[in-house]
Amino acid sequence: MTADLDALLRRVAQRDVEAFAAFYDNTRARVFGLVTRVLRDPGYSEETTQEVYLQVWHNAASYNPSAGSPLAWLMTLAHRRAVDRVRSEQASTQRDSRYGAANVEIAADRVAEAVISSDERRQVTECLGSLTDAQRECIQLAYYEGLTYVQVSERLSANLATIKSRMRDAIRGLRKCLGAA
Amino acid sequence: MALATPYALHAVSPAELDDIDRQLAAAPADVARAFADEVRAVRETMAVVSAATAIEPPEHVRDRLLAAIEQPPLRAVPSETPSRDSRPVRWRTVVLAAAAAVIIGVGALGIGLSMRPAATTSTTEQIFAAPDVRTVSGAIPTGGTATVVFSRERNAAVLVMNNVAPPQLGTVYQMWLVGNDGARSAGTMDAKAVAPSTTAVLPDLGGSKALAFTVEPGSGSTQPTTPVFAELSLV
Repeated sequence: MTADLDALLRRVAQRDVEAFAAFYDNTRARVFGLVTRVLRDPGYSEETTQEVYLQVWHNAASYNPSAGSPLAWLMTLAHRRAVDRVRSEQASTQRDSRYGAANVEIAADRVAEAVISSDERRQVTECLGSLTDAQRECIQLAYYEGLTYVQVSERLSANLATIKSRMRDAIRGLRKCLGAA
Repeated sequence: MALATPYALHAVSPAELDDIDRQLAAAPADVARAFADEVRAVRETMAVVSAATAIEPPEHVRDRLLAAIEQPPLRAVPSETPSRDSRPVRWRTVVLAAAAAVIIGVGALGIGLSMRPAATTSTTEQIFAAPDVRTVSGAIPTGGTATVVFSRERNAAVLVMNNVAPPQLGTVYQMWLVGNDGARSAGTMDAKAVAPSTTAVLPDLGGSKALAFTVEPGSGSTQPTTPVFAELSLV
């Protein structure tokens, strides 16, 4: 997948619309799913997904393979935008009123098998399940709800060092679990 | 180093982020490299984890995206088109770049626009947030590009002109909203307003079908007095 995305991204940098469409089709479920998980609002999620890919279209040339895989580049970009959006919505206090009305349930069965196999999904879900509850809670709050680690420590009434090491251990646990299988 | 994971997960405040970046810039090379390695490992891991939350987006997201990057050429009046065919590849690139830039810039960063500073941000945000937001873009025959992002529901548009040659001394470019009942002025641009890129909010589209451009004497006219030199369809 990395090699394919890499080649597509290089063509996108040359303004190749077909390559852009293929890149979108190969990654859209991951991006839209992550953004939706963070924003929990279908309208915001569509807008943010669109912005993410317009950024890809515009900045594909700035992708540097030595800094990571194309998928990590894309997902980092998507997460950054989703978190920025959720923070700005919280800041403007519009979030509660609009979010209350439009919470979405994740319908995982809508994802095309061609893009993400059910095996892959099962493995990742199992790895998330292998974390301790405390570790999973940290990932949930920091990664999926957009809290800073300081806010996470306040929310959980735990000290900063504890939160930082839980986050680090959670990622290490995931990495090991995913790499080992 | 203990902050590499929160940093990689975007779980630090903007102030702390700046702080970390400053420290990294001043840190010894091996420390900075170790930090970067850790950040990369976290991000690669979360990229794999994204399989767990994947959901198919609605089909219209794809349609809108492709529409946003692939703009039809601007319809120009036949007698005014000497430069139109000369460098098609080049202007197409410019159009795409301009359209993408305006969408990202205005949508994400809330860039303040130049012509109506007070009202612009909110109107622009409303246009971009509208479910029926659309973008049309095309080349100006005398050089440069015009891009309009508009929403019928919000009854408003944002016009962006890039690299458009300024009007001759003593004249202005005038924009017209053209509907079944004729043309209505949507503002003017003088030489100072044009270069190198200009943005204007058009707050009331009404029943207009197109945005047309003419050259008008002095500071503008109440009705077009010269042939339309470029037109963007709003239908």
